[in-house]
Amino acid sequence: MTQTKRAQMSFLQAAMKLVRGNIREYGMYVALLAIMAVFAVTTDGVFISSRNIVTLVNQTGYIAVLAVGMTLVIVIRHIDLSVGYLSGFLGAVAAISMVSWHVPVYATIPLVLVIGTLAGLLSGFLVAKMEIPAFVATLAGWLGYRGALQLVTRATGTIIIPDDTFNAIGNGFIPDIPGIKILPGLHHLTLILGFLGIVIFVVSEIIARRKLQSYDSNVLPTGMFLAKLVLVTVLVGGITWILAGYQGLSWTAAVVLVVILVYQFITTKTVLGRHIYAVGGNPEAAELSGISVKRLTYVVFGSMGMLAALSGILFASRLRSATTTAGQLFELDAIAAAFVGGVSAAGGVGKVVGSLIGAFVMTSLSSGMNLMGMDISYQYIVRASVLAAAVIFDVATRNRG
Amino acid sequence: MTPGEVGPAVVELRHIKKNFGAVQALRGVDLQLRHNEVLGLVGDNAAGKSTLMKVLSGAYVPDGGDILIEGEKVEFSSPMDARRQGIEMVYQDFALANNLDVAGNVFLGREAVGARIGPLAVMDNRYMEQEAQGLLNRLKIDISSVRLKVERLSGGQRQAVAIARATAFNAKVIIMDEPTAALSVAAIGKVLDLVRQLKAQGSSIIIISHRLEDIYQVSDRMIVLRHGLKVSDTPVQGDIHEFRERVVAYIVGARNDFGERAVG
Repeated sequence: MTQTKRAQMSFLQAAMKLVRGNIREYGMYVALLAIMAVFAVTTDGVFISSRNIVTLVNQTGYIAVLAVGMTLVIVIRHIDLSVGYLSGFLGAVAAISMVSWHVPVYATIPLVLVIGTLAGLLSGFLVAKMEIPAFVATLAGWLGYRGALQLVTRATGTIIIPDDTFNAIGNGFIPDIPGIKILPGLHHLTLILGFLGIVIFVVSEIIARRKLQSYDSNVLPTGMFLAKLVLVTVLVGGITWILAGYQGLSWTAAVVLVVILVYQFITTKTVLGRHIYAVGGNPEAAELSGISVKRLTYVVFGSMGMLAALSGILFASRLRSATTTAGQLFELDAIAAAFVGGVSAAGGVGKVVGSLIGAFVMTSLSSGMNLMGMDISYQYIVRASVLAAAVIFDVATRNRG
Repeated sequence: MTPGEVGPAVVELRHIKKNFGAVQALRGVDLQLRHNEVLGLVGDNAAGKSTLMKVLSGAYVPDGGDILIEGEKVEFSSPMDARRQGIEMVYQDFALANNLDVAGNVFLGREAVGARIGPLAVMDNRYMEQEAQGLLNRLKIDISSVRLKVERLSGGQRQAVAIARATAFNAKVIIMDEPTAALSVAAIGKVLDLVRQLKAQGSSIIIISHRLEDIYQVSDRMIVLRHGLKVSDTPVQGDIHEFRERVVAYIVGARNDFGERAVG
């Protein structure tokens, strides 16, 4: 066999091996791109217009942050049904804090985040300390926070939030750097951030690959590695270009990005993240290794509560008001997003970036079908099929692997 | 009664008692393990083997008796206490997190930390992977990469990872509870090789097994328990058929070197 032929063979084999080995991981990216492509065609390009993409991002934001927290909850083999109404209730608390108590927005946001964390720790207490199954404990929370939301909004009904700073979180855009003349009509800060993001990604990937090569030959073949870099660059670059052509990065997108970066870092690089996955994989082994399952249960539910508060803030800000039904069914949307994003119901498996993609898949479906003017009943059935397909796909690929 | 006396005891259990309600699981058992010795522990079901090892590994607190590590009296209230004293247990069901890779399991609960950001400890993955690879090489364990997830390994490889993990932090004593019970014949041979490898590198090992031929192959000495008492403590020697007959006689109660004592 000649040298080039052998190289081609190894490239093809590596590609096949990569697809087989990582189909679970990349399946949802393919699904998201396919959904976007289909809607781009069926809506004559309206779906991928800057305006619609921005709306899509802002609509996904408050579900995405819940899905990130829910990912960790499901990874440690629990569930949290309380977070939808907790999010709605905390949105109302934020509104009341600013409107009735006249607390400034910069104090209101930390206050609400702290209350959310405490609420999450309460769920954690019921699950870890009282050993109540999470399904039951958080179902109680679901009822309780629903009641609390109705209670605080009973006198006033919908509370209108007059604070422009607060409302900008769900509707506004990050400011541009003033005074740049080149590329008029584009949002320069967004372009710069996107460019920096790509550079940081590419450089860190190359450094990580070098490090790995120094002691383990088992790395991605060069061709595949380059393909991956190009794909991510095109994807991030494309989204940056679309956003920059409109009004730039929305505040919601910025918040979600920060949440994703922080949680991605914690779950993949820190001891805490390693222990969370260990508890999900084998709680007895983790306990025998000196890992406190109880402590981690508190941490994970506490983080879930904090993210529920953030979700409540994003949603109230987006509507510029706190409504009596805010947060309804958010918990189920978040759970669906996590499962579509590759989280396993058996525990121990799931990535926060996957859940973000899952959240985008679900909102893209709603958004696209709305643009097509599809009947809402069919929309639910389509979403049901996608959720079921994602879980069937997960189970099928797991059994084979 | 104790030939092969080559050095001081690394572990000594004196008159250990353990009750579960009205059941006397251990009725005053003595056990000595010397440096660089492989001790086989056998007995019928409910003879007290696993209970005794759970006492030594900190999972059970004994109702009576003393534990001495290198002559010093110690008390364990958890497996972590015992582990800090250098007592490592390899559990029958491997106790690995299947969703983590080999290096992650070897360092589970003892991750190497590279840097700290506030309350967050950032792992030094490169160090852990190199150390884990070095450990596998030293023990001649055949796993292609330490970044393989444990769920992709065979039963024998998982047992090897569980044993490697127990040896990773300079353990004084490694206890193996039925290390060959769930394995294929080929894998059993590899695990027994691993035990010999560990002994050659200076480890002190206690091995519980139902399979007398495994005990015969790797152990220097053997203790037989029956109804919570020690009935035999002899070096492993002679022909395997004679050995098997002798051990079975102790296990079923036909022979007893110590007599009925320490009742209650």
